[in-house]
Amino acid sequence: MRLWLLAAVALMVAAVALSIGAVPMSLTDVGRGLADPSTRTGAIIWHLRMPRIALAFLVGGGLSVSGAALQALVRNPLAEPYLLGISGGAGLGAVAAIALGLSGLVAVPAAAFAGALASSAIVYWVAAVQGTRLEPRVLVLVGVVVSAFCGAITTALLTMSDAAMLRNAFLWLLGGFGTASWVSVAIFSGYAVLPLGFLFGANRTLDLLSLGDESAEALGVRTEGAKALVFVTTALLTAASVAVSGMIGFVGLVAPHVIRGWLGPLHRQLLPAVFVAGGALLVLADAVARTVLRPAELPIGAVTALIGVPLFTVLLRRTLA
Amino acid sequence: MTRFFLLLSAALLGCGRSPSSPPADVVLTDDAGYRTALTRPATRIVSLMPAATELLFALGVGDHVVGRTRWCDYPADAGRVVSVGDGIAPNVEAIAARKPDLVVAYRSASNAQAVGQLRDLGIPVIELGLDRLADLERSALLLARAVGQPALGDTLIARVRDEVRTATRAGAARRTVFVLTWRDPPITLGAGSFLTEIIHLAGAANLFDDSPQPSFVVSIEAVASRNPDLILVVGDDEPTFASRPEWQTVGAVRDRRFVRVNGSMFNRPSPRIGAAVRQLAAALDSSLAR
Repeated sequence: MRLWLLAAVALMVAAVALSIGAVPMSLTDVGRGLADPSTRTGAIIWHLRMPRIALAFLVGGGLSVSGAALQALVRNPLAEPYLLGISGGAGLGAVAAIALGLSGLVAVPAAAFAGALASSAIVYWVAAVQGTRLEPRVLVLVGVVVSAFCGAITTALLTMSDAAMLRNAFLWLLGGFGTASWVSVAIFSGYAVLPLGFLFGANRTLDLLSLGDESAEALGVRTEGAKALVFVTTALLTAASVAVSGMIGFVGLVAPHVIRGWLGPLHRQLLPAVFVAGGALLVLADAVARTVLRPAELPIGAVTALIGVPLFTVLLRRTLA
Repeated sequence: MTRFFLLLSAALLGCGRSPSSPPADVVLTDDAGYRTALTRPATRIVSLMPAATELLFALGVGDHVVGRTRWCDYPADAGRVVSVGDGIAPNVEAIAARKPDLVVAYRSASNAQAVGQLRDLGIPVIELGLDRLADLERSALLLARAVGQPALGDTLIARVRDEVRTATRAGAARRTVFVLTWRDPPITLGAGSFLTEIIHLAGAANLFDDSPQPSFVVSIEAVASRNPDLILVVGDDEPTFASRPEWQTVGAVRDRRFVRVNGSMFNRPSPRIGAAVRQLAAALDSSLAR
């Protein structure tokens, strides 16, 4: 019931997002455009706004589900998809590509994807010492350290490139859906369906993992294997999100928390709801990003951080108290 | 009576002038409002801006340039000058090692620290806010005065004005031109950019003339809705964004209505603006003929 309510809210958000944008349109215009994609208004609605909304929804949902799964894995409510070294690696990959003059629309995302996978592999390799448990605290610590290291190399690379390129690289990292198309929606959804399906299916395991290793093992989970799988899946999902839209922080933190407070901690209900809520949240953030300064756009990472940082602060203070 | 006083004052002035007075200081007020007094005209200049390097060579005092940035690629002779690295947030030691008697820096918050350090070392620095056509003339005059040859500045300005005047097209029905300077995120130019001025002089209009920022991330739907007549492409390559699905909403991209121009004179305010306007105007003409 609550999930349907959430879906209805998400649909409303999508409808609002469809009717606003850089080009002001009346609802009548939107209706006409929907009816006839061959007009200029129709082309804007069908080929720019719709794929953009769809991609923002999928990325927001994917990041939120990754966040929820990682929070269960490391048993820390402050975990988010970028925590495990992914952000640093992706940023390094993208900036390295830009610095090498590969400003192409394929090269930069591909490099970001490769960088994210490489850095999370390093995090996993460092944290998972043979014969010992994968300690959540160690995982988080290594993630932070590897991110910092990648950040240092990124800074060095940026210092060596010219001013305009530096600004553009930063803008790419801050994220956005400005170049979304049905092609990018198809690529991302085709890719994301497997990791998402796996995480939805692993809801029982996530429930048990969030209880702690002893309890989980007592209840029949082979924790080390399960943790490794969850880690790899979220890394793959997050790396793909970074590749299509840059680094969008805090969605993976905000959505799971809001929904957990509302639906409780069981992942079978939690994950679908988190997917829908995270998706709607990012669609909303993107609508803000592309309208407040029109015809210019704000980086969506700045918008989500504007919402996410106050929430994070409150969460942190509650955790400390 | 009046005549008497005139004669008297002339005599007094004449007596007061000593036959071998040292040349007066060159006092330069830069674009930051900072006053720099040079005891003699500058002969060893480190230029931290590609545009200033070009100006110095165009003034005919390229041999005074003893340091440049690694981005200074015009004229070819500038390449023979020792590079001191970056022009923004530059390496102060590398500059000082050139023993300059004047440093020309871009006026920017990122340069404030280096400018302060150089001045502490006793090296005179002038900061130029050289972004647009109007700035070009002011900068040319200031640099000409810095080398003690103000007449060179006047000559250069007259030449540039003349070239711009001959190249300028008055467009009654101005065609709109869209400029994409970066593909992801899509970045375009607003009214505050030098290239926008070139477009105007060549008889066209920048699609985003109403945006005051020099450049910004733009929504593709705003481009589609404004429906530019032409897409300006700087460089030889077929623009890769043109084959992307999201850009097919823009008619000029779909129909490959490109205007191609080439060269660094489109990237920075330089005395080559006349040539830039001429090249763009010719490209606009041929796009109309097609």
